[in-house]
Amino acid sequence: MNEKGKPGAHSDDIGKWEAQINALLDGELDVAGAEALKAAATDDQKLARDIIEAYQLQQAMEQLRPERAPASLRRKLKKIPRQHAERPVYLQPRWAAAFAAVPLAVLSLWLAQPQQPSRAEVEQAAAELALAFAYIEQVSSRTAGRIEHEVGGELNAAVGGSVIKSIPQSESKEKQA
Amino acid sequence: MSRKFRQWVDQYQDEAWTLARYLLKDASEAEDATQEAFVKLWKHRENVDPERIKPWLMKVTRNTCMDRLRRRRDEVEFQEYQTADDHGPMAGLHQTELGGWLKQAISSLKEPYRTLVILRDIYQHSYDEVANATELSLSQVKVYLHRARKQLREQLAEVRP
Repeated sequence: MNEKGKPGAHSDDIGKWEAQINALLDGELDVAGAEALKAAATDDQKLARDIIEAYQLQQAMEQLRPERAPASLRRKLKKIPRQHAERPVYLQPRWAAAFAAVPLAVLSLWLAQPQQPSRAEVEQAAAELALAFAYIEQVSSRTAGRIEHEVGGELNAAVGGSVIKSIPQSESKEKQA
Repeated sequence: MSRKFRQWVDQYQDEAWTLARYLLKDASEAEDATQEAFVKLWKHRENVDPERIKPWLMKVTRNTCMDRLRRRRDEVEFQEYQTADDHGPMAGLHQTELGGWLKQAISSLKEPYRTLVILRDIYQHSYDEVANATELSLSQVKVYLHRARKQLREQLAEVRP
């Protein structure tokens, strides 16, 4: 054994005529070799019988054709491309999940972001606030005049003069809202 | 590509199946092994040289069968199973004396002799293809094949009157 589990391959093991017979069967024997083999077989009955048997064996084996594969196997083999088709990258489960996560993440970020009013909205709010303050100023002025008329000048400044200043701006906004 | 693959199936399924049948001696397992070999062909179709599909497929089929044979732990049981199977690829030749004998003789060959005889003498593959399929050198293929043929001839001589 020259290899694990395999018999040794030394051409010395094969007899001289054995190699010639095989070359003859394989069509590799040249004319001179064929003539030499023929001459030797004429004098050697065993060699002649070996050649005949080798031919018979070769012919018998050539008559053996591959067996037709069963229909069940044929059907299975035809289905292989469909059953083992590679999906496009974006359809593979791990990539599909990754691709699905992207819009979800974007949506989450958008929802989590605080709403910023537009410039026009800020300007509109400021105008409305100014109007509200003007109205309050007017009402305060009238109220102060009335208090002065009914109670006296001492309370006029405490009530009417500082009405606007004493109301925090945020409170004013809440009221306005 | 699947069209090309179907062509390969049409061209080589019988040879792959018959080789598996010879090696495994079991129709059901041979069917599985052949299918496995073709699935491998499908998966490696881009990497296999289109000119060498046949030897590649024969090699994979043989290796698949050998793996399955190795998994059969009880060799004695396997040998008994082999003898019990009377519906091998050459069952059709039972009607002739030589055919019946040939079936038994090829079945009794050891590896790699059996595969070499099947690929070279029955399928008529070239020596290069046989060497490629069996992963042996060209000289090894020739020497082993000569021995296998001689062994078959000797067995033939014994049964001859």
